[in-house]
Amino acid sequence: MQVELRHVFKSFPHNGHVVDVLHDVSLTVAAGEFVCLVGPTGCGKSTVIHLMAGLERPDRGQVLVDGTPVTGPDPSRCVVFQDAALFPWLTVLGNVEFGLRMAGLERAKRRERALEYLRLVHLSRFTRAYPHQLSGGMRQRVAIARALALQPAVLLMDEPFAALDAQTRAVLQNELLEIWELARPTIFFVTHNVREATGLADRVYVASSRPSQLRDVERISLPRPRHAEDPVLLAHQHRILGFLGEEIEKVLREELGETVHFPEAQHETPPERSPGMHI
Amino acid sequence: MRLLPKRATFLRPLQAVAFLLGLWWLTAVLVPSWPSPWRVAAILGGSLSDPAFQTALAGSARRMVIGYALVMVVGIGFGLLIGRIPLVDQVLGSFAVAVHAIPGAAWVPLAILWFGMTERAVVFTILLGAAGIVMVETDAGIREVPPLIRRAAQTLGARGVRYFWFVVVPAATPKVVNGLRLAWAFGWRALMAGELLTSVSGLGQRLNAVAKTGALDQLLAFMLLIALIGVAVDGLIFKRLEHAVRVRWGLA
Ligand SMILES: Nc1ncnc2c1ncn2[C@@H]1O[C@H](COP(=O)(O)OP(=O)(O)OP(=O)(O)O)[C@@H](O)[C@H]1O
Ligand SMILES: [Mg+2]
Repeated sequence: MQVELRHVFKSFPHNGHVVDVLHDVSLTVAAGEFVCLVGPTGCGKSTVIHLMAGLERPDRGQVLVDGTPVTGPDPSRCVVFQDAALFPWLTVLGNVEFGLRMAGLERAKRRERALEYLRLVHLSRFTRAYPHQLSGGMRQRVAIARALALQPAVLLMDEPFAALDAQTRAVLQNELLEIWELARPTIFFVTHNVREATGLADRVYVASSRPSQLRDVERISLPRPRHAEDPVLLAHQHRILGFLGEEIEKVLREELGETVHFPEAQHETPPERSPGMHI
Repeated sequence: MRLLPKRATFLRPLQAVAFLLGLWWLTAVLVPSWPSPWRVAAILGGSLSDPAFQTALAGSARRMVIGYALVMVVGIGFGLLIGRIPLVDQVLGSFAVAVHAIPGAAWVPLAILWFGMTERAVVFTILLGAAGIVMVETDAGIREVPPLIRRAAQTLGARGVRYFWFVVVPAATPKVVNGLRLAWAFGWRALMAGELLTSVSGLGQRLNAVAKTGALDQLLAFMLLIALIGVAVDGLIFKRLEHAVRVRWGLA
């Protein structure tokens, strides 16, 4: 399935006035493509995910799936939310089975499928636990398994690995790539981590600070698995970080006021912004 | 965070009880007409082993069970309807709040008018005295599905009846359980008021009878029993249930 935003505007009411979040955003995720979105905090990345999922409507413009306007949420477009959003009254297994149950899968089948995906996120030993008994990272992995188990045509992932340690993140990144190469879902993946974005995606969109516009698209045609030290990859990362650096300073100026002074922006290879750094 | 050792938390209720008993005993020493705790305890023991009194207690228990079962069915049922169907909300929503605003005892005159001095009148009093809070809490619970939970459920394909059954109902459960716990307290008071005024044989009616004889020690013994049953059922059943649900739902 192809997902597309066409000239989308979105604002939210805030304390009596209106906050413009997305300003004329157009982006396309082709069927079977892996696309990442990076951008400064508060720029509207989650909002883009919610629009694609059909949980929010654009003020202007269109959100299209295979050319048809999105009218509401649908299990063919599964979301891994930024906060895991598990059902607290269900066990880990119950959470992963939930979507399968809604799809009407029979008991034995959905159990088997749920266990398969829980193995994938290394939570086989916690199937009977309740969400409140898990760490933040474990909860996030349950949410990932819950979405993957539905084997959706479109996967919308909102910083799914942000709460994980580097080791676990690397393992899950590889598993996500394996699933993607096998089943070829369309993946739209929001992240703060530039190295993660360049390691995974076919294309990386870079968003500006609010009101958000897209500043850059990097097409990364390197084969996977990609090597962290590959100079082409590093060049992509440096370009992205250059754009982001400017935007992040804008955000900080806005939030902290003019009392804070920044050193001259260095857009070549800023030493304090190594590619793996979270923005 | 609790800094005192565990033993202290276990002792605290016992200490409170010991303190109150001491105070009571002191009052009895200083005021000759005031019965001592031991005397009241002895009277209570005597009553509890009296078969006639046991029959009266069993009658109270039966009415409470029937009344409470009706409270659950009517309270949860109407609460769901009010929360779910706008038309029912318009017709019954404020009615539920109004019912909830009337103390149980205030229903007794109407109950007697309709059902006479019968057991039905007492059950009616419990129902009207306690169903309101269950309706109000159930209604509130099913309206307030957290947005994040709602969104997750929708993207996982939950809609219609399944959404209601697998998401709205469990999301509302903590509130409903809270309503049921309060309903026990309201219902128990309504039972006493109903029995007191209708003279249907039971604990409330016994209380009324001893009040007329002026036997202070008897009166205190029955009031103590009413309080003990109220606290015991709440502590052994409802408090535990509520705590278990809150823990499971990640609220405690
Ligand atoms: N439902 C809402 N009501 C009001 N304002 C909202 C709502 N959702 C988002 N916003 C506002 O829109 C802006 C963008 O929010 P969004 O969550 O999309 O940012 P984000 O890019 O995902 O940020 P982060 O990287 O911190 O997750 C924020 O200023 C936020 O306050
Ligand atoms: Mg976000």
